[in-house]
Amino acid sequence: MIEAHGLTKRYGPKLAVDDVTFTVRPGVVTGFLGPNGAGKSTTMRMITGLDRPTAGTVTVNGRPYAQHRAPLAEVGALLEAKAVHPGRTARQHLQALAATHGIATARVDEVIELTGLTPVARKRVGGFSLGMGQRLGVAVALLGDPRTLILDEPVNGLDPEGVLWVRNLAKYLAGQGRTVFLSSHLMSEVALTADHVIVIGRGRILADMSVQELLDGASRRTVRVRSPQATALADALRRDGAEVTAGDDGALDVAGLEAARIGEAAAAAGVVLHELTPQASTLEEAYMALTADSVEYHAEDVAAVSAAEPSRTREQAATSEGEAR
Amino acid sequence: MTAATPTTSAATPPAVVVHRVTFARVLRAEWIKFRTLRSTVWTVVITALVMIGFALMMASLMRLAADTPEMAEGMNNDPGFQSLGMSGTTVITLGYSFAQLAVAVLAALIVTNEYSTGMIRSTFAAVPKRLPALWAKLVVIVLTTVVVIALALGVAYLVTLPILDAANLTVDLSDPEQVRALGGCVLYLATVAAFSLAVGALMRHSAGAIFTLVAIFFVLPIIFSIVVAASDAAWTDWVNKLLPSVAGERIISTGPSSDVLLDPWVGYSVLAGYTVVLLVAAAVTLKRRDA
Repeated sequence: MIEAHGLTKRYGPKLAVDDVTFTVRPGVVTGFLGPNGAGKSTTMRMITGLDRPTAGTVTVNGRPYAQHRAPLAEVGALLEAKAVHPGRTARQHLQALAATHGIATARVDEVIELTGLTPVARKRVGGFSLGMGQRLGVAVALLGDPRTLILDEPVNGLDPEGVLWVRNLAKYLAGQGRTVFLSSHLMSEVALTADHVIVIGRGRILADMSVQELLDGASRRTVRVRSPQATALADALRRDGAEVTAGDDGALDVAGLEAARIGEAAAAAGVVLHELTPQASTLEEAYMALTADSVEYHAEDVAAVSAAEPSRTREQAATSEGEAR
Repeated sequence: MTAATPTTSAATPPAVVVHRVTFARVLRAEWIKFRTLRSTVWTVVITALVMIGFALMMASLMRLAADTPEMAEGMNNDPGFQSLGMSGTTVITLGYSFAQLAVAVLAALIVTNEYSTGMIRSTFAAVPKRLPALWAKLVVIVLTTVVVIALALGVAYLVTLPILDAANLTVDLSDPEQVRALGGCVLYLATVAAFSLAVGALMRHSAGAIFTLVAIFFVLPIIFSIVVAASDAAWTDWVNKLLPSVAGERIISTGPSSDVLLDPWVGYSVLAGYTVVLLVAAAVTLKRRDA
């Protein structure tokens, strides 16, 4: 169980985490989702006592992290791959950390085995790939058999097999009644792994709900229509209160009206329809809609994005202008 | 690389035995970290070799001087040389001024390399109270320095014994001044290690810490020895005698005390004072700053 209350972190003039309150419950995998720079890592570092909050409190299993007498038994954290001296072997690194809690060498070998590091356990970490570094980070997190796991971007750099392994491990650990808090900037990853999701953008919580609720709530349903009399149709639909966007291939994307209502409106206006397709928004789109205004770093090349997603570009442009002012 | 399935995990019995964090356990962890890095092991070996090598070189030089009347006369008439208060102890402790650089760099790197590699976050995640980790590092580096320097002095004593004997310049262990200088050599270098660890913890960057330490223990004394010789201003004398290395190394000196330098124990106390202040500052900032 992780409980954050009014958690705030300020770096100079920049508010990295802004008055965040949330609870991460045991027994489920909770995803922590947000674009780069949204405050995910900062929040996780405050949970583990590495960063001192500017304001607010955060407790793990009822106490601030630093007040636990055996913190590794309470919280296992993968905060970044390779928080390791490259000159030591994986086994030596684990042994040094195990020694602080009097954890037996047998357990060190057990987590090495569990994370698939056995063949490289006696090799120096400096030569590890990103994926092996991540596995070592997971091994460290599991070392003290903790009740709570905090995994910051755990699938970063893993091969597909490794990704699957982390997913199954996270679900398995949650299934044992542990608290699993896992961050990602990929909605699809969180949707596959997590049951519950906390979305953060620009340091603020944008959503705290089950993955299903997020999909249902944030999705913006549109209908794609095609007509030889596109202009007349667009005018008719706008009169009915719809939001109409011209697609790149001559189609119209209509938001705010059901497909049936569009068909009726077309008939009433005497417009021929060639296509009428309801578009279910994808996970990624739901997430984009939620975080559109809170993306910290916009891609420079807006043109490339506009070809694919005209409606989003408008939002982005509006945001950029807002920033410029 | 195949991963084991999570079904063999951690949580299945027998339960993992995890104890609470104690200073003894943190100390053990820091010792593991210290001895598992090749660079630290090499630096320790080089420090010992420098001590022994300089002792051998100086002993051979003294032997040569003893056998060459002109050279002996030259030494007797050289005031700088006489102020060293040449004894067997001076010979075998001579390497300290170079060994101190190795010790200083090693002690600083113990902290700064954790910051540069990100290891510090693993350390503080395991020891979130942080200060036990700093004190454990202090104990490890100070004890290692004491043992290594004591051993090096012992070896230097033995290998130079026949040479110095012939030069009639043996280490006299019945002379309290020489015993103080021998022990002082160990004490001085151990204190330099503590001083440097604190500088490393305060600066957190390897290059910056090493630059600072080389400046303090090597460059500043050279600059001030020139300034003091060239200037009559009293403040230069004071700054010079209060420099960490100039003050601290008085504990290794033998022979007549100098009126421009502090007495041996006073000088050492000055260095010890700086060290305590720096360690307190390091502890306070370590506790407060984000890792």
